[in-house]
Amino acid sequence: MLLEVQHVRKEFQNRTLALTDASFSVSQGDFVSVIGPSGAGKTTLFRILNGSLRCDGGAILVNGVHFESADRRTRRAIQTTIGTIYQDFALVENATCRQNVLNACLPDMAFLPAVCGFFGKERVAEADALLERVGLADKVHEPVKNLSGGQKQRVAIARALMRHPALLLADEPVASLDPVTGRQILELLRDIQQDQKLTVLMNSHNLELSQEFSSRLIGLNQGTVVLDAPADTPAKEILAAVYHRQEDQP
Amino acid sequence: MTRSSGKRWLRTLALFLLLLAAARFTNCSLALFWARRSHLTDLISAMLPPDWGYAPRILSPLLATVQMSVTGTALGSFLALLLAPLCAENLHAPKPLRWTLRLLVQVLRSFPTLILALLATFLFGLGTFSGTVAITVYTFAILTRLTYEDIESAELAPYHALCAMGAVPAKVYWRAVVPGIAPSYFSNVLYLLETNVRHSSILGYVGAGGIGLLLNEKISWLEYGKVGMILFFLFLTVCVIEGISGLLSQIIREERSLSPLGKRLLTGAAVLLALVCTLSLQPPDFSHISPRAVQAMISGLFHPDWAFFFETDTSGLGYLLLETVCIALVGTCAGTVIAVPLSFLSTPCLMPKLPALLFRVVIMAIRSVPFLIYGLIFIRVAGPGPFTGVLTLGVCSVGLLSKRFTEAIEALDFRAYHALEAMGVPLLLRIRYAVLPQLLPALASAVLYRFDVNIREASVLGLVGAGGIGAPLIFAMNHYKWSEAGAIALGLILLVWRIDRLSTSLRR
Repeated sequence: MLLEVQHVRKEFQNRTLALTDASFSVSQGDFVSVIGPSGAGKTTLFRILNGSLRCDGGAILVNGVHFESADRRTRRAIQTTIGTIYQDFALVENATCRQNVLNACLPDMAFLPAVCGFFGKERVAEADALLERVGLADKVHEPVKNLSGGQKQRVAIARALMRHPALLLADEPVASLDPVTGRQILELLRDIQQDQKLTVLMNSHNLELSQEFSSRLIGLNQGTVVLDAPADTPAKEILAAVYHRQEDQP
Repeated sequence: MTRSSGKRWLRTLALFLLLLAAARFTNCSLALFWARRSHLTDLISAMLPPDWGYAPRILSPLLATVQMSVTGTALGSFLALLLAPLCAENLHAPKPLRWTLRLLVQVLRSFPTLILALLATFLFGLGTFSGTVAITVYTFAILTRLTYEDIESAELAPYHALCAMGAVPAKVYWRAVVPGIAPSYFSNVLYLLETNVRHSSILGYVGAGGIGLLLNEKISWLEYGKVGMILFFLFLTVCVIEGISGLLSQIIREERSLSPLGKRLLTGAAVLLALVCTLSLQPPDFSHISPRAVQAMISGLFHPDWAFFFETDTSGLGYLLLETVCIALVGTCAGTVIAVPLSFLSTPCLMPKLPALLFRVVIMAIRSVPFLIYGLIFIRVAGPGPFTGVLTLGVCSVGLLSKRFTEAIEALDFRAYHALEAMGVPLLLRIRYAVLPQLLPALASAVLYRFDVNIREASVLGLVGAGGIGAPLIFAMNHYKWSEAGAIALGLILLVWRIDRLSTSLRR
């Protein structure tokens, strides 16, 4: 069991209850999709899982180690095994593709070489190899701002892989891309997941794509897990379980 | 380590060495500055408390100053809007006309308002009229260039479509091009208005009217309480102008909406203000001007003193121009060093509201003091010479630089920063890799722009004896040595043109 989420609860300072009681687990090598309507708490869950936010209750275990209550050092060590890709890519637009991928090495470098930008031949070669893997071999020296949306997401995937993550969190990876490009990105993600026996946790609005690419679905509504089923469950049942509130309305 | 990053290191090192050499050349010495630091404050403490009873005497020259700047800005920007299309390459005005106008703009651009005002007093006599002419010419030169650059990068499809229908190009320019460039044109006008108010406060120094006359008088009579009062009023004026221009630029950027009636009223009020200011202007005084003097001036300016122009020793033009460039270079860097922390501290999205406001007031206060006062303060610290020029230009650059820096900081995109945070990258490295790459281009372009301005402003420093080309130029003009003035002017024009080309190519 790679990731275990037990009764996680998160209340924001303005009293919004984003997560009331979320529990599920993900095993090594799974491709799991988290689905649910807007405001269900998907993004909050992901931000807690990658360590950007702290939860107010419950426990998160990564490979059996408590993540949420760990001291700073352990927390950072766990953080480095989790890669994240974002809906809006979160890349440094003015920097080149290679530099963006290399940025992922910063946590394990000594301060001085990191500041001066001495990444070393091996890391540079690895970054270039990863860019080639995601199909951007000819864009290594291109500033990210000159790329298309799909290409930017490829750079973001390469950056996440640079950490050799055990778990890849994909927060709405295709929501800001057109359908064709989105499908290409998900195909790339699935290929990489199967090659490297990676665990992927994706969160998505798109039920059809989620069913096609993942093996399991977790439905979230109003901060609670309302569905945990194999991906081939009929769409009608999933819609009824996860989106029922929307369907009730005329 | 890649080849491109190696090149970058080499370039940074070269720039640093250049800066060091320039600092040595201008006799910059932090030790001297530290040893004589007590002189920084004694002039300021002499100005405190200001002489409150003096306030009523200030109002009328202050109004004259504002009037000069409003009239000059209005006339200059009107002319610029009229003539800019003739300079723009993509509107195809006749080539000889286009190049003559561009040359004229480039020549006029090389001189600060003060030098233009000095020249104007020889033609139009002492008084506000000369100051207004100087501000008009300055505004025209700067704004024409900004506007034709805007036109050249504007979307011209509607222009060509309307021309193809057989409409007259002048009408089409008004209907199809002007609406597109209007927002940037108006924000440039507002910015120039602010600058002009500050510049016009020293024009009295060369007899071109306004509050500068009073300032000059009180400084030479050592009545520092009254000087303090004048500075306080200038600060208030700059605050008011900045407030109004902030409001107007919000309307221009459509962040604040206005009803059609409100817009009409606002336009009407602006036009009325410009008209009243223009019509109530003091007429020129030709009584001291003789046609022969004017003829001597013009023929002298067009027959530069070539011996002086090509002289290579320390009294020659080349040396003086080099000194001017070095003063501007080191001064711009000094200004950057002060402006960077100030702009971080005054950005509302990074700092709590109250300290941010406090630092904004500090920046505004720094901006509102005319450079002359800084020159007087620093000359006590560093003595006459280029080091005083460096310090003065440094402080004078703070206003513009911190304004540009603050805008860049406010436009920062923090998504990459948070992504690196989630990966466990430490704070300093996050700033190095996710914040600086976004900020540096904006900072570099602001610094380059200010360097360009400082080259021109450096020629005014001569007024306070702070080194560079200014003192010989003003001296030559005041003693009617027109051929020498012509040589210096030619040198300045060439220098500004070169630096202009250089900074354009660097910015790309």
